[in-house]
Amino acid sequence: MHILDIQNIRKSFGDNEVLKDISLTVDRGEVVSIIGPSGSGKSTLLRCATLLETMDSGTLRYMDEDVAFMDENDKLVYTKDLKKVRGYFGLVFQNFNLFPHYSVLKNVMDAPVHVQKRKPREVKEEALALLETMGLADRADAYPCQLSGGQKQRVSIVRALTMNPEILFFDEPTSALDPELTGEVLKVIKQLAEQSMTMVIVTHEMAFAHSISDRVIFMDGGVIVEQGTPQELFEGTKKDRTRQFLQNYKR
Amino acid sequence: MTLEVMLKTMGIGMLRTGGIFCLTLLGSLPLGMIVALLRKSRIKPVQWVIKIYISIMRGTPLMLQLLVWYFGPYYLFDLPIKGWRYPAIILGFVLNYAAYFAEIYRGGIESMSVGQYEAAQVLGYTKTQTFMKIILPQVIKTILPSVTNEVITLVKDTSLAFTLAYQEVFSLAKQISASQTSFIPFVVAGIFYYVANYAVAFVMERIEKALDYYQ
Amino acid sequence: MKKTVSLILALVMIMGCVFALAACKGTDAQNNSGESDAADVSKDDSPEAAYVFLDEKLGIESYAIGFRKDDKELADQVTAAYKALVKNGTYAEIGEKYPDIKDYLNLKAEDISDDEIAEQGSGDANYTFKHGFDLDFPPYSYRQDDGTVGGFDVEMAQALCEYLGWKYEPVPFNWDAKDAELTAGSCDCSWSGFTLEGREDDYCWGITYSKNEQGILVAADSGIKTLADLAGKTVGVQTATSAYDMLEGEDGKSELCQTFADLKVYETYTIAFSDLKAGAIDAIAIDMTAGAFLIANDKK
Repeated sequence: MHILDIQNIRKSFGDNEVLKDISLTVDRGEVVSIIGPSGSGKSTLLRCATLLETMDSGTLRYMDEDVAFMDENDKLVYTKDLKKVRGYFGLVFQNFNLFPHYSVLKNVMDAPVHVQKRKPREVKEEALALLETMGLADRADAYPCQLSGGQKQRVSIVRALTMNPEILFFDEPTSALDPELTGEVLKVIKQLAEQSMTMVIVTHEMAFAHSISDRVIFMDGGVIVEQGTPQELFEGTKKDRTRQFLQNYKR
Repeated sequence: MTLEVMLKTMGIGMLRTGGIFCLTLLGSLPLGMIVALLRKSRIKPVQWVIKIYISIMRGTPLMLQLLVWYFGPYYLFDLPIKGWRYPAIILGFVLNYAAYFAEIYRGGIESMSVGQYEAAQVLGYTKTQTFMKIILPQVIKTILPSVTNEVITLVKDTSLAFTLAYQEVFSLAKQISASQTSFIPFVVAGIFYYVANYAVAFVMERIEKALDYYQ
Repeated sequence: MKKTVSLILALVMIMGCVFALAACKGTDAQNNSGESDAADVSKDDSPEAAYVFLDEKLGIESYAIGFRKDDKELADQVTAAYKALVKNGTYAEIGEKYPDIKDYLNLKAEDISDDEIAEQGSGDANYTFKHGFDLDFPPYSYRQDDGTVGGFDVEMAQALCEYLGWKYEPVPFNWDAKDAELTAGSCDCSWSGFTLEGREDDYCWGITYSKNEQGILVAADSGIKTLADLAGKTVGVQTATSAYDMLEGEDGKSELCQTFADLKVYETYTIAFSDLKAGAIDAIAIDMTAGAFLIANDKK
């Protein structure tokens, strides 16, 4: 069983085709990094997978359940029960998107309690434990505006985790942070990888992608140019385009 | 006329002014939200109707609107208008202010970042939950200064009820001034409006402070 | 910061009020000192009065009760009852309370024959008479010293209802909206110093009960003695009054108006009178009764 199974998806904005026939599967416990230049379509891919964008064609499956598929008339249909599907994944945004009027604890607890209808006490225990492991135990009552960027991003990771997703997506989780704050966020993502969390990470942190990933995908111009283990991609790539891209990141 | 009698007479007018003020806010604050949401409706005709409504309410004098609401039923539908005076005043004020509040709300709602909606969507909130729990509280904080302005304008606009001969504080000031050939009633009315607005500003400042815990 | 500013504002406001009160007291005191000489204020031609009417008048009109055009029956009924009140002395009795207009109340008991008058209690006891009037028009209809609604017209209307056995309902209206109120039926008549002339065909008219003369009010020491002296002067008038209609209308005194430097139109005569006292305008065109009322109150 694949946690995530994407086949042949296409997406255009007007005349601009951003995703050209992309297929991708992710299995339990896998950590997949997606790298590539700006405008390569990696964020759009993530947004299609998390239902923030509707794709034009292709199929999307979570946990072997159809989410979006082509019907007999070759028209794309989405399943009715999107609420259930949304329970399978979590998404960590580049800009955190915490709710500024909620305290840290409320940010983390509100959706599990009011969307998943779980018992507040149980959720609170879990949330506090997670905040503890992320080094945020003393910030539970703070408001987002009182946190540093790194702390905000860690809270938003906890918020996604408290929903107990099968798979966690990261959309450039450190791009909005000061360089000295990226470390603390990357550390907790690494921590999650060690706990075998299934993750798909869109990132510009090459060293990080190298060290954490089971598989790295290089995207450019709306297609997957190359994928493989970090060693295959970073050290032994056969493709000129990949090499060219990676060279720009070398010091 | 002694000052005591004048204050007593005008005091009744002040209560009536307060009545218009409270009922107008009670009606127009929620109605404005409904109008703002309908304004963003996906059904085109609904959008048009709301747009026309807002443009008429903002584009014509409130005094004229009050006359239309009160006399309209008679002239247009030949209905008796006995007992309709006060309801017409409140209706006129509520509909007029709802249009202004609707535009303030709309501005507030549109100023919310897409990220808030997306975060809520990914977490599985329903549209209603997203609006009520995530968007609305933030919108309220954003629009509070504009709402304060509008509420202060309302305090002063209540005097337009004199158009329909409602004996609120300003009408009484005019009458007493005419019969006493004196400006004192206007001074009293001025102090009343100032104090009322001072109270409004004070309360709104308190609310703003209470919402200051986040940015 | 905000608190300081609002505190200062409040102080300015209070000082303004104190100043206004003091100013009013001041003028009162001044006028009181001159009052012993000007014993009867309604005699505005007494040499000591601070404000006087010109001997030349603008014109004379009459006050009557206006009904809806299709309401002749009601108009006749009210007229008959009004005549009864004239006949039995109520009219003169109420008129005594309003010295400023006493001379203008032109109906005489001896002119009325017994077959013109309505019988006491002849009205339908279930009928409510809705008396439409303006509350800004002393002494015909206004807010009195005790804060209640009163005036010559209001008292007459009440007496009339009592006489016929009707219920009385006061309907104060905004003068600018009187036609709409009348047409829409929120009141039965327009009865508060309502001028007949120029509106003859617009209403069904009841009894004409008062004369109303328009004159020019000036400061006694202004040197203005005749209408011709008003050439090049600034004259004030209240909007929607007989004097205004005369000066602005096509017939009447529009030629006279041409000679003025400026005609200033006010919302109320109270403000116009303040401007006259302050010297901002030279004269006021006004109903004699209303003008006498202004002078009388100025002396109080």
